[in-house]
Amino acid sequence: MAKEDDRAREEFTSEAEELLDTLSRDLVDFESQGQSVRPELVNKIFREVHSLKGLAGMLGFVEISELSHNLEDMLDRLRMGKIEISKDLIDLLYDAVDGLNRLVIAINDPSLSGLVDITGLARRIHQIITNQPLKAADDPFAELTLDEQTRKSLTEYEEHRLLENVRAGKHILSLEVTFDFSDFDEKLRALTSSLSEAGEVISTLPAIPTGMVNGIAFRLLYGSTLNDAAVQAVAPEAKVASLRKASAPAITGPADATVAAPEPVEEEMSLRSLSQTVRVDISRLDHVMNIVGELIIEKTQLESLARAMTQQQARMVSHELGKISRNLDRKLNELQKSVIEIRMVPVGQIYSKLSRTVRKLARELNKEIELVLRGEDTELDKMMVEELTDPLMHIIRNALDHGIENADERRATGKHPVGKVVLTAYQQGNSVVLDVRDDGRGIDPERIRRVAVARGLIGDKEVIDQQRAYELMFTAGFSTATAVSEISGRGVGLDVVKKNIQELKGTIEVISKVGEGTTFRISLPITLAIIQALIVEAGGDMFAIPLTSVEESLRIYSRDIRRVERREVFTLRDYTLPLLRLADAFGLDDDHDHGADTKWFVVVTRAGEKTVGILVNALVRQQEVVIKSIGERLKMTPGIAGATEIGEGEIVLVVDVGTLIDHFGGRAREVRAAAAAS
Amino acid sequence: MKILVVEDSSSMRAYLTTIIESGTESYDLEIVEAASGFEALKTLPHHRFDAILTDINMPDINGLELVSFLKNHPVYRSIPIMVISTESTEEDRRRAAALGAEEYLVKPFEARDLVEKLRRLLKVA
Repeated sequence: MAKEDDRAREEFTSEAEELLDTLSRDLVDFESQGQSVRPELVNKIFREVHSLKGLAGMLGFVEISELSHNLEDMLDRLRMGKIEISKDLIDLLYDAVDGLNRLVIAINDPSLSGLVDITGLARRIHQIITNQPLKAADDPFAELTLDEQTRKSLTEYEEHRLLENVRAGKHILSLEVTFDFSDFDEKLRALTSSLSEAGEVISTLPAIPTGMVNGIAFRLLYGSTLNDAAVQAVAPEAKVASLRKASAPAITGPADATVAAPEPVEEEMSLRSLSQTVRVDISRLDHVMNIVGELIIEKTQLESLARAMTQQQARMVSHELGKISRNLDRKLNELQKSVIEIRMVPVGQIYSKLSRTVRKLARELNKEIELVLRGEDTELDKMMVEELTDPLMHIIRNALDHGIENADERRATGKHPVGKVVLTAYQQGNSVVLDVRDDGRGIDPERIRRVAVARGLIGDKEVIDQQRAYELMFTAGFSTATAVSEISGRGVGLDVVKKNIQELKGTIEVISKVGEGTTFRISLPITLAIIQALIVEAGGDMFAIPLTSVEESLRIYSRDIRRVERREVFTLRDYTLPLLRLADAFGLDDDHDHGADTKWFVVVTRAGEKTVGILVNALVRQQEVVIKSIGERLKMTPGIAGATEIGEGEIVLVVDVGTLIDHFGGRAREVRAAAAAS
Repeated sequence: MKILVVEDSSSMRAYLTTIIESGTESYDLEIVEAASGFEALKTLPHHRFDAILTDINMPDINGLELVSFLKNHPVYRSIPIMVISTESTEEDRRRAAALGAEEYLVKPFEARDLVEKLRRLLKVA
């Protein structure tokens, strides 16, 4: 029984989280639609809270059930038009959803319970309900010729919507359609969706079709600014009739509503129904991903076997093996792609959490903030999305706390008093980029310098450029907050953000202009598990460099390497490229250098804004590698992301370009010289 | 015997079927699930149901519309229906009864209430 309880709790938590996520997103829409919020949306929000309440009640989660019950009561009145939309109401909705979220989290972490003021929320809900007097209901049917069955099948809510449409002077129409049984759901959804552009489908009643054996009929009740002739044009397959009695003609709506010619029905089928979503335990996906990884290793072994068989009699076998390996490769690619796709979720999933936080923070800071979220459909590995929430939250907090000025300050500098934070997600090649842009005061390098001096991070005479200033912000021990602010504080600084992003094999960079604003740009690989890598050789060992970090590679000679201020560089076209000897970085003995004519390869890599040439002895090949994590001992070694098998059981280390550049960027030679001297 | 459970929440559906299955072990009972009114309509011609349990608040077509359709259908009108909803939709439950739904159950409910009402609906002891 206990086990069943666990399962029920798990099921509930996951469904509740989904519901609350959708709910939060709907709330953002709700707020942005203002007073003219679409009734369908209000009803949807009501239904979501209603479902949550039902679930919580069944499974005995008393607090969630109680809070959602109160909330549902208020939303019911709202959808029935008994109370009106106000700022208090919107604030309350956000707070209540936030409270519900916390309660759901507290199910699995009881230490968090007791943090939600349920009685306080209940009191606020009660106030909103009682402050607004009930409107008298009148009979919506008096002006209509509505058949008995349709009338009896209306829910209380549908009846209310009908009344609202009658009151608003809309055309009230009945549409009868008959569809084939095999695809009526798609057809009907498409029709409903095009009708919704110029009105509201109030009810959908299924009926027995006349004269069609394998079909089903529907009678739609539709309130619209369009008259029956116009609706007939939108839905040519329907039998359209006006339900208004002749004595009560409808007011024709505004001209712009009548020209809103809906799209053809067939093209409106983008609705994704719930049943098309699959909820999968991520550990199962990890398992499949591991199998794919092992298959890739098998394939690589097959390949090297085929390469090794060069003897005359083995030619044919080699040829056949090669063919098998290529087929295997194609299949593997397919499998890999589909598994990766399953792992992908839209980043929009965390948007709702972010918008809630921003709202709350803005209130705490007494600043007016507009949060704009873009690219919510951009997809990213589920695990990464989870891991991304905290760093993103931190950056947004920073923007609100330090970036955006208060309203007076903004007015004084000629800015709009409402600060703007824009979060944009988009895909760029194999990466997903997330930009957090604020239109605040921007980052002043001089201010950074002063703080860094005060924190003892740099000497007080040290001159720093803008880039160095930005780097300093990501150093442990740096915080511009004069007092540890409750908002940006929480004991972590940007150094932790950077570490988190680097753990996801991503980079973070800053673009800022004093007085105009700041952008934090996070760039992440789409997935972590399998990458394309360049296998190189340095100091007698092989290494894998992720191709996502590689810009290009070229061959040079020792004589091409120059020294600038004790740092080795190479002139690449018109650009001075700092060089980093891979063998040196990992402390390997290298006897490759035989003077001016020694051949080298430079792998030009980029991490964020920094470009460095990694000097290696040879380029081996390009191949797909499966990154495996390595033991604790090597985990902390900068410059190493993990290990991988590259066929024939050979293990090589995978280079982490980001931390490699951070740690050794051009200093390897000096460090080594110093070590040799001591 | 075969019953249809129409409910848009997957965990509520799972909960309902678990209770029904454990409470009716002695009968040969098969449960068919539908996650929406549309799914219910689609599955109807493929089975001979002895009872239908439905939620009211659902997307696409709601429980009342489903009840109305069933009770006006020459073949399906004889299938007994139980409407399951929360107390806030009392008015809608009354309407469902007016449309011909035989039984109703208010969420949250006790497992034995569900089983008892289902037995009554199926006319088994």
